[in-house]
Amino acid sequence: MIIEDRNHLPQEMNDIPDAKLALAQTDYTTDERFTTEPIGFYKDAFRRLRANRVSMISLCTILVIVVLALVVPNITGYSYTEQNVKQKNLPPKIPILENWGIADGTRTLTNIKKSSLDDAKRFPEGSVLSIINEYTVRKTEVVDIKVDYYAYCGAPETEYHWFGTDYLGRDILTRLFRGARISLMIAVISVVTNLIIGVIYGSIAGYYGGKVDLFLTHLAEVLDGLPYIVVTILFMILLGSGMLSIILALTVTGWIGTARLTRAQFYRYKGREYVLAARTLGVPDRKLIFRHILPNTIGPLITRAMIAVPGAIFSESFLAYIGLGIKPPEPSIGILLSVGQEVLLQYPYQTLFPAILISVLMIAFNMLSNGLRDAMDPSRRGEA
Amino acid sequence: MIKYIIGRIGAMLLTLFLVMTLSFWVIRLMPMSIFENPEVPPEVQQKLEDRMHLHEPMAVQYYYFIHGIVTKGDFGTSVKIRPGLDVFDIIKERIPPTMLLNFFSLLISIPVGIIAGTVAALKRNRWQDTIISFLIVIFISVPSFVFASLMQYCFTFAWPLFPTLYNAQAPTVWVAFSSMVLPIIALSLNPIATIARYLRGELIETLSSEYMLLARTKGLTQREATWNHAFRNSLVPIANTIIPLITGIMGGSLVIEKIFAVPGEGGLLVDSILAGDHFLTVALLIFYSVISLVSICVIDISYGIIDPRIRIGGGK
Repeated sequence: MIIEDRNHLPQEMNDIPDAKLALAQTDYTTDERFTTEPIGFYKDAFRRLRANRVSMISLCTILVIVVLALVVPNITGYSYTEQNVKQKNLPPKIPILENWGIADGTRTLTNIKKSSLDDAKRFPEGSVLSIINEYTVRKTEVVDIKVDYYAYCGAPETEYHWFGTDYLGRDILTRLFRGARISLMIAVISVVTNLIIGVIYGSIAGYYGGKVDLFLTHLAEVLDGLPYIVVTILFMILLGSGMLSIILALTVTGWIGTARLTRAQFYRYKGREYVLAARTLGVPDRKLIFRHILPNTIGPLITRAMIAVPGAIFSESFLAYIGLGIKPPEPSIGILLSVGQEVLLQYPYQTLFPAILISVLMIAFNMLSNGLRDAMDPSRRGEA
Repeated sequence: MIKYIIGRIGAMLLTLFLVMTLSFWVIRLMPMSIFENPEVPPEVQQKLEDRMHLHEPMAVQYYYFIHGIVTKGDFGTSVKIRPGLDVFDIIKERIPPTMLLNFFSLLISIPVGIIAGTVAALKRNRWQDTIISFLIVIFISVPSFVFASLMQYCFTFAWPLFPTLYNAQAPTVWVAFSSMVLPIIALSLNPIATIARYLRGELIETLSSEYMLLARTKGLTQREATWNHAFRNSLVPIANTIIPLITGIMGGSLVIEKIFAVPGEGGLLVDSILAGDHFLTVALLIFYSVISLVSICVIDISYGIIDPRIRIGGGK
């Protein structure tokens, strides 16, 4: 059987019996089979990301903070709500470091009447470490003293607050990492929600085009025209404080960028031949969108999501600062910062630790997203 | 061109109307009483409520609200922060500090950002670039309020160079200015970094483009080619970053004003939200919207003038 399908041949050719035909080509040529491993786009991107030292350090930093946020609040021995009015505003005291004179739980008190030093009720045994300065004000002898603030407040010897305590005597270390957990949760959930809404919206607008696209794009444009601060504040006022309302407030206009990006990608890919081929084969719209076109947008979307996370962390702190944060007693980095800000000049450590944490977190996320953007840049495929 | 400008202004007014409507409904539907002061006698409260049409249905109140703004510029009366005072007057009084703060930040950040970005791009991969790029990452990542706290502690307490808080009754210009230095710096760092990063990327790309090669080939020196072709072309898209910059500075100034106790709109907004002074909050939100919408509109239009492609692409 040399001619397999005779149906489409002209009649006179069909009439020729097989015996009269001979094969012109008797041997097959085949391409050599690839023996090397194929490297897909994501594999290549990941390889490039791994080669980027800064990105890897950032990634590790983020992971460490996440782990700390999960673990630390459970192992400090304090809960984030536990108040102790007697031990408020304790300075940081960290084992080992205290022997070197850093974070040893001491504080300098000024303008103390010298006679009151003997008062055991005010200055318990061993609380006064040294007298720094002695002088007389209006015939009263006054001293500046260095005290072991923990003993001064009547805290037992074994009490350690690594980052000190706040104005209600709550352990700042516990609250800080509990707050980091909440800030990260708000950031991640809001970014994921934005991503989902944006992708669906952008896909519909980009895939169907025409009037649907015109309507959806204009709707998004109007929403986008609303000033971000105003909309967020309005939503926070409407929904009241709380984690869910912050997440919702961050989603109101947050998805528009993603939608725009997705739409642009759809416009770029929906006219490609492979999509046309799939459509010709009868693939339904839903499958065309999600199986054939959407995967092309994953790279830019990941990068975008990574950039959005520090933005969300920032927004949360911003809202906390203007008094629209999450419900007390639950902490967040923003709440800790704004509370610490009020006593910045007296107790700088209360601002210092949250400030360091948020800065490190934001820098790490930004560096990682920079690295991801470079790694996912299609024009740099195959580069080292 | 005129059609384009009219279109932009129309879109702005539409958005503004939307903001007004949205803020009115959202804030007025809050389950908060407008008066919570037990010392005000019930008759007076009754009269006040009548005067403000508070007993009418919401739709009618909404009509009075829009009507008052459009015809008389009347945004209502403050009831909690400064009871009895016209909201518009309160806002007017607070404009100068906020404007100064925002204006100076923008004024500083644009040239500094452009210089930093240009230096980084021209000295690419050398130590100048490394330092600037490092600073860019820090300034973009670390929130402005963290810088504000840091500087407040370092430069007003540990090393008292500047006053801790904003001085509203400053006797001399110098004293007033020195109390504004820290807030302005805190607000400028992020915009500087944003502009510098953008310009650096843009310039590096233009410097390696083909028309630069052409410019060199036709006999321009590297300096002339850079200045006349690369630099100018890279500056055009900067307008893109300026819109988010303005809104960013405004948002940042909400917090910065609170930290440095600047008697501006930001602090007022925070206070009025917390106190539940509804008329004032609505008016302030509109104030913020007007500023950001007008700046967006102005930049859109000027962008359309600079770059004709935008204008054409703006329509259908």
